[in-house]
Amino acid sequence: MELGSFIIKRLALMVLVIFGVLIIVFIVTRIIPADPVGAILGGNAPPATVDAMRHQLGLDKPIFAQLLDYLGGLLRGDLGTSLVSSRPVLTDILEFLPATIELAVSSIIFAVVLGIILGLLSAVFRNHFIDHFSRVFSILGISLPGFWLGLILILIFYYKLGWLPSGGQYDMFLFPTRTTGLILLDAMIHGEWNVFWNGIKHLILPTFILGYSSTASIARIMRASMLDVLHQNYIRTARAKGLPRKMVILRHALKNALIPVITIIGLEFGSLLSGAVLTETIFAWPGLGRYIVNSLLTLDYPAVSGGTIFIALIYSVVNLAVDILYAAVDPRMRS
Amino acid sequence: MKRKGMGLVGLFLFMAIPLVMAGNIPKDTLVMAMNTEIFKTFDPGVCFEVEPSAFVKNIYANLVTLDIKDGAFTPVGDLAEKWEQSADGKLWTFYLKKGVKFANGDPVKASDVEYSYKRAVKLNKSPAWLFTDTLGLTEDSIKAVNDTTVTITTNGAPANVVLSVLAANIGGVLNEKEVKAHETNGDMGLAWLTDHSAGAGPYVLKEWKRKTQIALTVNKNYYGDTPAIKTILLRDMPEASDRYLSLKKGDVDVAYQITVEEAAGLRDNKDESVQLFTTPGQTLEYVAMNASWGPFKDARVRQAVKYAIDYDAIINKVREGFAIKNQQFLAIGYFGYKESNPFTRDVAKAKKLLADAGYPNGFEVEIVTNESEIRRAEAVVVQSNLADIGIKSNIIIMQAAQMYDKYRNQGLQMIVAGWGIDYPDADALAKPFADYTVKQLAWRNAWLDDKAASMASAAGKEINEKKRAQIYYDLVKYWQDNGPFAMMYQPIEFWGIGNDIKGFDKAFDGYNVHCDFTLISK
Repeated sequence: MELGSFIIKRLALMVLVIFGVLIIVFIVTRIIPADPVGAILGGNAPPATVDAMRHQLGLDKPIFAQLLDYLGGLLRGDLGTSLVSSRPVLTDILEFLPATIELAVSSIIFAVVLGIILGLLSAVFRNHFIDHFSRVFSILGISLPGFWLGLILILIFYYKLGWLPSGGQYDMFLFPTRTTGLILLDAMIHGEWNVFWNGIKHLILPTFILGYSSTASIARIMRASMLDVLHQNYIRTARAKGLPRKMVILRHALKNALIPVITIIGLEFGSLLSGAVLTETIFAWPGLGRYIVNSLLTLDYPAVSGGTIFIALIYSVVNLAVDILYAAVDPRMRS
Repeated sequence: MKRKGMGLVGLFLFMAIPLVMAGNIPKDTLVMAMNTEIFKTFDPGVCFEVEPSAFVKNIYANLVTLDIKDGAFTPVGDLAEKWEQSADGKLWTFYLKKGVKFANGDPVKASDVEYSYKRAVKLNKSPAWLFTDTLGLTEDSIKAVNDTTVTITTNGAPANVVLSVLAANIGGVLNEKEVKAHETNGDMGLAWLTDHSAGAGPYVLKEWKRKTQIALTVNKNYYGDTPAIKTILLRDMPEASDRYLSLKKGDVDVAYQITVEEAAGLRDNKDESVQLFTTPGQTLEYVAMNASWGPFKDARVRQAVKYAIDYDAIINKVREGFAIKNQQFLAIGYFGYKESNPFTRDVAKAKKLLADAGYPNGFEVEIVTNESEIRRAEAVVVQSNLADIGIKSNIIIMQAAQMYDKYRNQGLQMIVAGWGIDYPDADALAKPFADYTVKQLAWRNAWLDDKAASMASAAGKEINEKKRAQIYYDLVKYWQDNGPFAMMYQPIEFWGIGNDIKGFDKAFDGYNVHCDFTLISK
């Protein structure tokens, strides 16, 4: 199959996946026995007020009519209005998405760089100190609960040492100029270097916590893949031809060992985007994860659907990019 | 080697860059920390949540406000210089103070009051029932007679009820001209007022960066004394431990919603840098039984449960002493309140009541509560107490959306919950707890008792204060004997505050009902 038709096929599948996610989320949120209006108005509101709001929000219509209304809105680019914030869901998402992207990108960069280095060193120096260190580091990364580790790091680096802030994206007396919503990028665009450095400091702990388990996964896959490649005949041949070990590892082994790592990076990036809720809560990070979880707790239907569509879209795009990359690297994947 | 060394020096220098916030808060700035998820809007016609109400109250001026005198909420003039009530108690005339301006410099006129109140009725958002149901207001009830006089025609509710409701957030007066300039598709400024302000209170909403911080700055045109605190920053900190550590480190002045354990720690182990402030909360915590469900149909079984509960354990262990024993529906300091706590744990008496009702071996029941840590702990204590008299109970934790749906439809057997007081008058408590016709708590627990309902309704209309107080006294007794509620306590609310903060006790005395940031200084 040509690469072009492969991409078209995957794009069509992506649309189907997102539509499927949308329908499932829409139905599940509406059939569970709970009342979002009750949650929004609180326990005190009298029934007449509850009924009036239910009518105002169109929640008294049959579920099929609500679905048609929603799909109609979606075609016009309208994700509905949040029942809690009373703002268009798209406005809410666009406000919180940049913070999540910023955190997920910094975490994946951290995880990829550290994970590949650790995995590579671990494989090359198998059963040496660096290998043991890397394996213990990986096991801890996968098994330590992020929220616990986050609180411990806050206690040490914020409360005891005073080196890093406890949370938020920037200090409270700063009022950064916004263009894209990405604090670091905006600070660079507007030359607000105090905001930039302040933003970097605020990113360190959440990046480490969010990226740690991904680092561990990448390091483990990288180690296994590298060990596998290092035992291949062509590596032995290269060494026999008298090539230096460093060159064999970096120019011959690394490239091939990275192929399975690409897949795991794609999956990890997706999970960083959708699984940042705890990190966002511990570090008071104003991201999409907290928005979706709070929407779920209050059964804010439009916000839950809108947020899920966005996450599904990002997840699908990242996976599509990985598949295309994979297909480009390995023609067997196109069949 | 040289490059490595330079890297280390760079890292050290980076770490050495001081954080702007590190314990360096200016004297005229107050930094507070809270989980701000509860904030939905700053529109006085819409906002009805407890903590946000306290902030909205400091942005908008009302006709009247509530002061605390001798431990009781007392209405005093805010925008209104004086007021009169007609002989039949229905027509109220308010005379505005002269020369009062909104934050943008526009004069406050009676027409602004008329616009604001009509808007609240028309919008019909969460707090609107205070105007429409409690006071019986319609759009035609409010009239600006001239620039400084406004009349309001009510359903004849007692004076304290009328003035308390007008002092609530929904009575906040908006700048009509400014709001109209920001209308979108005839929304009466609903979208704009979510995160902007147009009031005449001591502060102005400068910025609301959601999930980050809320900034208030002083209103330079405020008619009252200029507050010592010129800027208020409310930092979003979802984690209680974060708020506590930031307070101890001096990066915030006031920490909301610290845990009871942290509060007890501050109370019991004096800390030089931090103090604890407490005040009675404007809520009541209760266990309720569905009077239409199985054994709970019998008042003796309900009495048995009331005698089985270990109220002292709940107050002293679960709440670490941050609660006041109060076994009636009237809150402390409210009209008609007289201390009355007839229930103490008496297992033998509870067992006898169960046996008399025909349940000597007890029965099985479901206790529902929400995900609050305190409520879950209370449910566990109640479960253990009920086991002592032979009642086997299963605790079910529900999300608010699920719990209220079932509760509103009388679908729960037993619940551990709380009730936030909507306005500081006995009527705001008697009706929900005793009058099933208003379809609130008595209705949800299927206690369809006509005697209790008519007493609560009569007290809500009685203008003679002595007679009114007597009705509440009788109703409390009847309710304790027959009602489906085991009232556990009135919580004591607490904040961790920096030692350099002054006036917090006066500012927060009365919690969200009377919360005046202008009294705070450093």
